[in-house]
Amino acid sequence: MSSDHHDGEHHPSAWGPHDWSHGAPHNSWSPIIMSIGIGIFLYTVASVYSWGNMVDSSSIPLVLIGLMIILFGLLIWWRQDASFDGIYEPKASGTPFQNIEIRKVAMWVFLMSEMMVFTSLFSTYMRYRFGIDSCQEVYESGSWIVNSQNVDTGEAVNCFLPASELIASSWFHIAPGAINTFALIISSFTIVQALRWAKKPIGSVDEEVRRKRVYRYLGSTWVLAVIFLTLKMVEWFVGFYIPEIGPIHEHDIMSLVDEGYTIHADHYHPHHGWDDIHLAELAALHPEDYEAYLSAVGPNYEPTNAVMLADIRVSSSTFFVTTGTHGAHVFIGIIGLTYMTWKAWTGGYTPQNAVSIEYFGLYWHFVDLIWVIVFPFFYLY
Amino acid sequence: MMKNFIHSRSLVVMTILIAAMVCTPLVSSFPTGISGVKDSGCNCHGATTSDSVTPMIVGLPEVYNYSEVYELTVSFTGGPSTPGNINLGGFHLWASEGELSVVDATVQQYNPNEVGHTEVGNDQTSWTVVWTAPATDRNVEMILHTNSVNGNAGDGAGSSGDEWNKITKKINAPILVLESANPYVVLSTLIIISGILLIITITYIFYRTNPDSFNWESFEPWIADWLTTTDHKKIGTLYFLAGMFFLGIGGIMALMIRIQLSVPGNDFLTQDQYNQFFTLHGTTMIFLAAMPLINGFANWMVPLQIGAPDLALPRINAMSFWLQPVAALLIFTGVFSGTGADTGWTGYAPYIVSETAHVGTTMWVAGQIMLVASSTLTGVNFLTTIAVMRAPGMGWMQMPLFTWSILVANLMLFLSIPAFGVGLVQVYLDRVIGTAFYDAASGGDPLLWSHLFWYFGHPEVYVVIVPAFGVISEVIATSARRTVFGYRSMVYAMAGIGVVSFIVYGHHMFTSGMSPTLRFVTMLTTMLVAVPTGIKIFNWLKTMHKGSLIYRTHTLWALGFLITFTLGGISGMFFPSMAMDLHFHESYFVVAHFHYVLVGGTVFGFFSAIYYWFPKMTGRMLDERLGVLHFLTAFISYNGLFWPMHRLGIWGMARRHHTYFISTEEAMGSLPAEAAGWNMFISISAFLFFFSNFILIANMIKSVIRGQKAPADPWGGWSFEWMTSSPPPTPSFPLDDLPTLRDANEGHIANEPSAIVRWFQGLMVLDDNEEEAGH
Amino acid sequence: MSDHLLLGKFDLYWANFVGLIVLTAIEVAAVGLDLSESMTLFILVGIAIPKFIMIAAIFMHLWGDKDSKILTLTALFPAFFIVIMILFIGLTHPEASIGLPDWCRPGYYKL
Repeated sequence: MSSDHHDGEHHPSAWGPHDWSHGAPHNSWSPIIMSIGIGIFLYTVASVYSWGNMVDSSSIPLVLIGLMIILFGLLIWWRQDASFDGIYEPKASGTPFQNIEIRKVAMWVFLMSEMMVFTSLFSTYMRYRFGIDSCQEVYESGSWIVNSQNVDTGEAVNCFLPASELIASSWFHIAPGAINTFALIISSFTIVQALRWAKKPIGSVDEEVRRKRVYRYLGSTWVLAVIFLTLKMVEWFVGFYIPEIGPIHEHDIMSLVDEGYTIHADHYHPHHGWDDIHLAELAALHPEDYEAYLSAVGPNYEPTNAVMLADIRVSSSTFFVTTGTHGAHVFIGIIGLTYMTWKAWTGGYTPQNAVSIEYFGLYWHFVDLIWVIVFPFFYLY
Repeated sequence: MMKNFIHSRSLVVMTILIAAMVCTPLVSSFPTGISGVKDSGCNCHGATTSDSVTPMIVGLPEVYNYSEVYELTVSFTGGPSTPGNINLGGFHLWASEGELSVVDATVQQYNPNEVGHTEVGNDQTSWTVVWTAPATDRNVEMILHTNSVNGNAGDGAGSSGDEWNKITKKINAPILVLESANPYVVLSTLIIISGILLIITITYIFYRTNPDSFNWESFEPWIADWLTTTDHKKIGTLYFLAGMFFLGIGGIMALMIRIQLSVPGNDFLTQDQYNQFFTLHGTTMIFLAAMPLINGFANWMVPLQIGAPDLALPRINAMSFWLQPVAALLIFTGVFSGTGADTGWTGYAPYIVSETAHVGTTMWVAGQIMLVASSTLTGVNFLTTIAVMRAPGMGWMQMPLFTWSILVANLMLFLSIPAFGVGLVQVYLDRVIGTAFYDAASGGDPLLWSHLFWYFGHPEVYVVIVPAFGVISEVIATSARRTVFGYRSMVYAMAGIGVVSFIVYGHHMFTSGMSPTLRFVTMLTTMLVAVPTGIKIFNWLKTMHKGSLIYRTHTLWALGFLITFTLGGISGMFFPSMAMDLHFHESYFVVAHFHYVLVGGTVFGFFSAIYYWFPKMTGRMLDERLGVLHFLTAFISYNGLFWPMHRLGIWGMARRHHTYFISTEEAMGSLPAEAAGWNMFISISAFLFFFSNFILIANMIKSVIRGQKAPADPWGGWSFEWMTSSPPPTPSFPLDDLPTLRDANEGHIANEPSAIVRWFQGLMVLDDNEEEAGH
Repeated sequence: MSDHLLLGKFDLYWANFVGLIVLTAIEVAAVGLDLSESMTLFILVGIAIPKFIMIAAIFMHLWGDKDSKILTLTALFPAFFIVIMILFIGLTHPEASIGLPDWCRPGYYKL
């Protein structure tokens, strides 16, 4: 408990830029500030929303304050990192990672934990997908289901409706997801290009050219990641418009939420070309349920022949939370890329510290890898 | 100039941070109050009370007679109520004890102790109710609200212009009864006192470090250094302080639970309070006491033992510590207003996602999410450090066993905790934005939560015991003055426990209706766990056999550990058998078992570690006589506390129930009369055990102030940490002069690498220096 | 890693990139073809695996680098735990207790 740590030479300040030429510990305000920010954020979000309803909108500024505190902590972290020049980059001494940079090993170890995160999400998905009757089967079984109840037996009915039923139903619905897939693959490519240019030995390339190439490649990765999230928001919440081009009809492509595919959809009405059961039949046999059905689908309902209003909240929850977790990883990547693009723009990357791009790249490729699995199983199948 | 500026800035930020930490729980405290209308008042006829209304109760005695029936007349005068209005008024009466009942149609009953007027009764100003006094000695409180109504509701004006008021009446018991304290007040008072004691101790230690400069100018950089440090030794100390603090808090909650259970049918805690206390007791002890204590020693000792200057990622290390106190604040949010988490530490679905579970449960989940983040970062850090930063020449099989145990524990924690994290996020989203992962009505599967929780939960209980194995291995080898017997088998046993821990978790869910195949598999694998654990116990015994044992305090604790942990392990062998588990499930036998392994295992192991490493950490020796006293009192009271629980469990006393009854009726659980005596015995032992640990606290404080200076190697240990001075410098080993191999287990250094190891070495990147790689 | 990794006469990153784009296009097209469900699943899994390997091996440098072998082993380390989780959590039937096979129900052995 001695207090000889303020010699001012190795510990310039806990606020920022560090002297990275040696391995002594550096003090930092960032951890405690970020922790408090995260605590405030989690607390206030749960004060604003409860059970899907906004219960206290007066706490929204507090949510923002929480985010600002996290950002403030993050800025301190970056300010300390910005001076990292790669002169001191410790390497592993013992087996089995001998001569591999410590941070690279740490990144791979971290990715192990990320694999378990997504395995947990996939286990949830598999359990529900295989464990709950699919909506199409229930629908085609011929029972009438109104307001999540079987009309004949009175039993509650819920079923699993994968989002792909909607998404894979037309090329335009697939479009945002497909473009996103390409965007992520291209961004994986741009980031290895940034690494390649940053790594070129000094003298083999003009420094100005290097600076431009690195920040342009990192910047385009950033842009592609932003495109990814934007398209995701379009696909979830906004939808888009298709003008008349040649044989294509002019029409609106509705977002998943507009289609009624939401986490609150306990009376979901499917209408995508399954074998129909006739409304008239229901009207003749169960007039009251027919009335209930008509009132439940709403006044603007254009009658098709489908008769089913079932609870699909579990399927939409797994879809939105799994793809949302992936989206959150992309968002964290954007935050990291913002800093790296800025650092590259100032010419901060040299062959000596180019490995930093590689470590971030490992994370970024991992996010791409996850998408390679999420895309077919949540969007296509 | 610049330095002053920076310091004043950090001062401002610190003030803001402290204010934020204090305010967070208050930001929007959940407004339901402790029990509905009696405190929050009547808001149906105006927001505030009015003095012009005078409520009255006639017919109440000053002192009641047992079980006597009193007829009470409730009335009021004043206010806008005048004869001729459509409506005249209403009332609401609440009694803390006894029962209220109704005599005519003008009054209705809400609860046995709560009545109010009816639709018929709202055109009068006086009502009659009957109160039956309690049969036991209680001080009774009655709260009466009355409305004076102006009758304009019929004109569509609602309740505007109405006025109301409230009175409180006290009726004494036939004999003098001391007011029983509100348990929340007791708990919060004790927590605040503990916090203040902690602050005083820290201030005093600061004073002792340099009595001449006891002023703010030197205190501010000192405390700022502690808040911003990334040095593994300081973070270790912070972890240690946090762990000890929460060990005390968890202990206080355990004592309150024991007060409640000391006699049958007790009502010190209500059912609702009891639920919150055992939830927080479990959560605090596992996540906020045991894990930080382990991390404290891991932070301190792992870099020292492997000869590394620091952990691989020092700033990440600071991050994983600071997430914990904030998480603790979130977890405790709500408990003081009576809405803390009441789900048990397992937080089983679907209760956890039902609106019946207290609102504080959301905060409990949020705090746990932060702890998951903390553990993940810790895992990355330790796995990387141990894998890459061992001193030149130290191979895997030369690592001290404590380091091995931390490696295995972090590997388990790290690979299992994402499942828990994902489950928690799902629950958080269910409770906050309304997803339906565990909503059975929408097809959600509550068993999924059990799976995700126990996929993490079972490795987690090994995570808290395996580091204790490491400590005991170090302590016994040092005390017996020889190398540990069967070093390799110790390592393989730990690794085996680590791998098997992932496929045994189903034994927590035998009664849940899980797949029978899975039940069968986990039954077998759970029995398998006894094999590596048995290997370890025999190795410890064999280490002592023909060694020359020195009985230091840490040795005593290690021997105590061997006894209690073995007993706990043996009682654990009843549970893998499905047939027996169905009977023991949710009984005190389970409570006895896991307290024998968690207290007798983890806590005893870490008490041993405190006595063993305290001189290294502070440079001061602990008092051996106080240490022995601590061991004797704690060991005896500990066994008195938990041993009788086995018997209670076999008699059928259920865990997680707020009380129990002595009865011969099957329906009541039929606990024999001796159960009451044993429970009282357990409660007394609990108090003795709790207070015996203050000997340790006193010992540590005494040692820091005037303890004998410790030499670098007071016990004759031979791993790296004993090579540096006590306390060690910063960085712990100079970067340009790392120590080279000093083998903790010299018996094995001459061994040829096995075939697997040779294959593995073929995969490694070879160093330029060939002779080093060949080591 | 050398400056220019070549696959034949193509730059390795470019070749990998183009390959990934082509495989993704096939994937999307396969869904548009309206094949049977099991066929779709087969094609999707069949394409996802090579894509996965291509990204991991080339972009994440798990192939051809001096530290590749040990890092591949690191990446594969959780495989056992992943399999356990999928088997125990993902693929156990939620209705196991009521969906027991006959041989597992009371009365089957006429005891």
